[in-house]
Order: sequence, then C-alpha cells, then structure tokens
Amino acid sequence: MDPFATLGVEARFDLAPSDLERRHRELSRAVHPDRHAAGPTSLRRVALSRAIELNEAYRLLKDPIRRAQKLLELRGVSVAEGQEPKPSGALLMEMMEAREALSEAGHAKDLAAVERLATQMRAREAALLERLTEALDSSDDAGNGRALSLLGELRYTRRFLDEVAAFEEMLLA
Amino acid sequence: MGTLDKNDESVGTGLVGAPACGDVMRLQIRVSDDGVIQDAKFKTFGCGSAIASSSLATEWLKGKTIDEADTIKNSMIAEELNLPPVKIHCSVLAEDAIKSAIADFRTKQAAKRSLAK
Repeated sequence: MDPFATLGVEARFDLAPSDLERRHRELSRAVHPDRHAAGPTSLRRVALSRAIELNEAYRLLKDPIRRAQKLLELRGVSVAEGQEPKPSGALLMEMMEAREALSEAGHAKDLAAVERLATQMRAREAALLERLTEALDSSDDAGNGRALSLLGELRYTRRFLDEVAAFEEMLLA
Repeated sequence: MGTLDKNDESVGTGLVGAPACGDVMRLQIRVSDDGVIQDAKFKTFGCGSAIASSSLATEWLKGKTIDEADTIKNSMIAEELNLPPVKIHCSVLAEDAIKSAIADFRTKQAAKRSLAK
C-alpha cells in the first residue's frame, strides 16, 4: 500500500499536518457509510473498505517516524528488522541516563522534574525531525542512510516521551 | 535489577540497544579472581520481553564461569521464556548484552595485566 497515493499527496516527508488532515477529511466524506446507506450492498462494501484504507493511510502519514519509514521503503531502502544501523555507544549511554533520570523523577512523583526532562527531549526530537527532513529531501543514498540512523535515534526520543506521557497520566490522575 | 560500579575492575558492563524499538539494556557482571561470576545485575528500559530476557540472563549468569557464560545463546532464552517470533529480537538483545559485558570485563583485565608488567 502506498499511503501517499491513497491520500493523493506527493510522496515526500515534508507534509503539513493540516494538509494531510484536509485531504483525509475531503476524501472520507465521499465514502462515508451514511452516504451509501441506501445503496446496494456491493457499493456499501467498496465504500467501507475505501474508508478504512483512507484512515490507515492518514494514521500512518500523520506519524513522522512511520511516514519516513514508508518513504524509505518506497525508495527501495530496506529497513528490515535487525538491519537498522546500530545505535552508537554514546547515544545508548545518554538514553540510559535520561531514562534513569526520568524514572527517578516519575517515581518520586516530581512532576516538575518530569516536565523539565520532557522539555529537553522534545527540543531534541524537534531538532532530529528537522535533520530528518533535510536528509530525506535529497533522496540520494547518503541522505537515505542518514535518515535511517536518525530514525533509530527518533525511536529513542519517542520511547522516552511515551514514558513521560505515562508518568503524566499517573501523576495528574 | 540494579547497578554495579562500572569503574570497578572486577565488573564488566554491557550496554546495548534495539534501534527498531528504542529499547536500551544494561547488563553487568562481577567476576571473582578465579573467573566465576558472583553477581549479575540488569537495568532495561523496554518491553516486557526485553525485561524478562535480561532478568533471566542475570539469573543464569550467577555462578557460571566467564567461559560458560559465553556459551549462552539467545535461542535458549527465547525457549525458556516462550517468546513469540516477533519478540525473538529481545532475546538477541540479551545475548548481545552478555557478550558485551564479558568483552568489557576481558578488556579491563587485559589492561590491568599490561599495567602490571
């Protein structure tokens, strides 16, 4: 499945979330089940499967990590499991320390400290996404290679921020 | 769970990660003068299977010699934990962590020996 084609947008990383949202809304309207409620079963089925396809494409493209992965896949760059570039020792050390600090702050119920760590990581994620945009813009081998290792790093920042969300939910409940 | 002093020369530390899921795993061993692993600790930030794999690895390491420890394979961990195919990489990560902790310990010992000369 090519989610870019499904939503009728250009196959590039640099897509505005608002444009994606608008495309999804426009295309979904035409296949909404209510529109075909009176129609023949076969048409209803087609409309439903198209609606599901549109939702899947939108969900995938909304997520920068999955969008980048799909783009690389469409360019024929293999991202098979176990083939990703190994994270550097420095990155692992940094992430281990960051996760330990977060876990300590979370279990101490120190919401302010959790937020401080989250702010730092969000800034880092934003910088990584900027570099990923640049790397994927060139669409040559060097750029694709850089994109692969940036993706690895982004999964670490993503996990960290998932953990932040879990602590926030626990502490704000 | 827990931490050993990574600067202690009888301690080997392995730090590994799975870029596909953003997991990070630290496994440490404390080795006696006669090459037996006296203590092993892990800290893993990752999914349940990754945590279980590293926990089992530390259990198995205690009391083994370095050379015995080197023979632990990810397939043994996967089998013991009944890991489904999509979680096999978690046991691979644990084997990597063991190998990397042993390598770190051996490097430290080699450095110590060359200093003693």
